[in-house]
Amino acid sequence: MDLFLQLVVTGVMLGSIFALVALGWVLIYKCSGVLNLAMGELTMIGGYVCLGLYQKFVAFMPVNTAFVVALIGTMIIGLILGLLTERIFLRKMIGEPILAVIMVTVGLSFFFKGMVFIIWDTDTQVFLPRIFSIDPIVILGITVGSVYLWSFVAAMVLMVVFVCFFKYTRWGLSMQACADDEMAALSLGVSAKFVYALAWAIAFMAAGVGGTLLGNINGLNYSVSSLGLLVLPVVVFGGLNSVPGAIVGGITIGILQNLTGGYLDFYFPGGIKEIAPFIFMVIFLLFKPYGLWGWERIERV
Amino acid sequence: MSYLPCGQYFESYLDDQKWWRTPFIKAKMIFMLVVVLALPYLVASEWLSVFYTINYYILAALGVQLLIGYCGQITLGHAAFVAVGGYTSAMMILFIPWPTFMVDSGLVYPISIICAGFTAAMWSVLFGLPSARVKGFYLIMTTMAAQWITVPLVITQYVSQIGGRGQSFSLPPGLIKIGPWTIDDDVKIYYFSAFLVLLCLLAMGNILRSKIGRAWIAIRDNDIAAETMGVNIVVYKLIAFFVAGFFAGIAGAFWISALFFVSPEHYEWFYSLLWVGIILIGGVGSIQGIVFGSAFVVIIFKLLEMGVLGISEFVMTSYPEIGWVTTKIIFFKESAFGLAIIFFLIYEPNGLSYRYWQLKNYFNLWPFSYTGK
Repeated sequence: MDLFLQLVVTGVMLGSIFALVALGWVLIYKCSGVLNLAMGELTMIGGYVCLGLYQKFVAFMPVNTAFVVALIGTMIIGLILGLLTERIFLRKMIGEPILAVIMVTVGLSFFFKGMVFIIWDTDTQVFLPRIFSIDPIVILGITVGSVYLWSFVAAMVLMVVFVCFFKYTRWGLSMQACADDEMAALSLGVSAKFVYALAWAIAFMAAGVGGTLLGNINGLNYSVSSLGLLVLPVVVFGGLNSVPGAIVGGITIGILQNLTGGYLDFYFPGGIKEIAPFIFMVIFLLFKPYGLWGWERIERV
Repeated sequence: MSYLPCGQYFESYLDDQKWWRTPFIKAKMIFMLVVVLALPYLVASEWLSVFYTINYYILAALGVQLLIGYCGQITLGHAAFVAVGGYTSAMMILFIPWPTFMVDSGLVYPISIICAGFTAAMWSVLFGLPSARVKGFYLIMTTMAAQWITVPLVITQYVSQIGGRGQSFSLPPGLIKIGPWTIDDDVKIYYFSAFLVLLCLLAMGNILRSKIGRAWIAIRDNDIAAETMGVNIVVYKLIAFFVAGFFAGIAGAFWISALFFVSPEHYEWFYSLLWVGIILIGGVGSIQGIVFGSAFVVIIFKLLEMGVLGISEFVMTSYPEIGWVTTKIIFFKESAFGLAIIFFLIYEPNGLSYRYWQLKNYFNLWPFSYTGK
C-alpha cells in the first residue's frame, strides 16, 4: 500500500508537468486548429535554453536566483521563438488540409531537433550545481523527491496564471472568443493573426518550463522530447479542445506511467513505462473517441 | 490523366480501359523498361545502391500512398509494418528447419516474402481496426501508437532477444536465394528490387481500377457520402490497411536481402515520417508521385552526403579549428530535411507529379498551347 500511494503521489507531480505542456498544445489546437506533433521538441528546446542560461547566470549569482532568472529568460526566448515560428511557418498554412499542417509540424520537429543537437550535444546534460536538494521530503509518511514537489508547485502556479490569463485579461478573452467562433470573433474586431501568434508563444513558454522541470528530474537528453510527446495521449484522453481535460489527462497519464513503471516493469522488462500511455490511448480511443470533454463533431454531407 | 492526341478514337470499352492506350505510351513504357533493365550497365557501380534504395522507398511508400492518397486514412506508423515484414522474413529463414531440397532450390526466401507480406498485413489490420470508429487526428494517434508499440517495445525488447543474438539478426551470405540465383551483389539486388517494384506498382494500379479501388477513392473523397452510396466503409478501410500492410511486408522482406541483417534502428519513427514526406513531395494520390518522391529524396540525400564529405575534408585540412562542424553533419541533414518538407508543403503543395503533369500537357498541346506564354 505504501508503494502504491507513493507511486500515485509521484505520478500526480510528474503528471502536472505533462498537464502544463498539454495546456499549450490544447491552446494551439483550440485557437488555430493546428495539430502539433512538434511538442516534444518544443519541450526539449525549452530545457536546453534554460540550461544554457542557467550555466551563464550561475557564475555570478546565488543558485536559486540564477535558476529563477534563467526560467524567466527561457520564457522570454520561448515567446520570441513562438512568434517567429507562427509567422514564418504556420501562418501560410491556414486553411490547408489537415495532413499538410501536421506534416509541417513534423518538419518543424526535425528542424528543431537538428538545431538543438547542433548547438548542444547529444550527451546527457544536468543542471549543475543542483538546484533542488537530493534529499527526499517526507509528507504524511510518503517520501517524495524535492524536485518532484517543486515541479508540482511550479506547474500548478503557472497553470493558475494561465487560466487567470484566459479568464480575466483582454487578450485571454479574445483567445477564448476566437476558439469559440472564429468568424464571430473576427467580425467583432478580434485579430485572428494576433491570437494565433499568442497561442504559439504561450505553447512555447509552457513547453519551455515543462522541459526545464523534466530536465531537472532526469537530466536533459533526447528522451525529454519523447516525454514531451506524451502530451498526445494526454490530450486524446482529456479531449482535444478542453483545458480542464488537459489538466486531468496530464495527471492521469502521469499516475498511469508511474504505476506501470512500478508494477509491470517486473513482468515486461524494458520500455513498458514509455509505451503504456500509448497502449492506453489506443484502447481508450476505441471506446470514447472524443476523449472525456472533447467536442463531438457532427458532420454533414 | 493527360489528354489523348487528336484523332484518336476507341471502338470498344476494352480499348478505352487499356493500360497503354496509344502507341506513344507503349513506346515510352517499353523504353522505360529497357532503361530499368540496362541501368546496371549505364551507371557507375557505387550508384546501384542508390537505385535499389530508391526501389525500397518506392515499395515502402506504396502502402502509405494507398492509405493516405487513395483511401484518406492518414498513417504515421508505416515503418512498424515494414519492420514486421523484415523480421518475419529473417526469422523464417533463420529459425525454421527447412528440408534441404527446399533450401537448395531456393524456395525459402520467396516463401518467406509472401509470409512476411501476410504477417505485416494482419498486423496492419489490427491497428487499422480503430479506423472503424475514428478518423483524422485520432487515426494518426493510433498509427503512431502502432509504431511505438511495435518497434521500441515488441521488436527491440522481445523479438530481438530470440536466439540470444542480441540486437540484430544477421543473415550469413548465401542464405538468401531465389531459385537458382543467390542474391549476393549489388546488380542482383538491383534486379530483384526492380522486379518487385514493377510487380507491386502493376498490382496497385490494377487494384485501383477495380471495385475496391473505386470504393477507396469514394471513401477518401467523402466517407459519409460513400456510406450512403452503399460502400461498406469499415470493410474497405480494413482492406486498405491489409493491402498497405502487405506491400510494407514485401518491402521489409526485400530490404533484408540488401542489408544482410535486420535491426530495430532501420525502422525508427523517422522512416515512417520520411515515407509520408516522400508522397507529399511526389504528390498525394498519384502512383508516379511515389517514384518521383523516392527518387528525389534518395538522390538529394546522396548528393548531400557526397557534398558533405567533400566539404568536411576541405574544412578539416584548411580550417581545423572549426572541425567540430563535421561531427554534426547528420543533424544538419535532419534539419535540412525538415525544412525541405515544410517548404515543399508551403510552396509546392501539389508535389512533383503535378509539375510532371503540367509538363506533359504542355508538350501534348505544343506548339498550340494556351497556357504557356
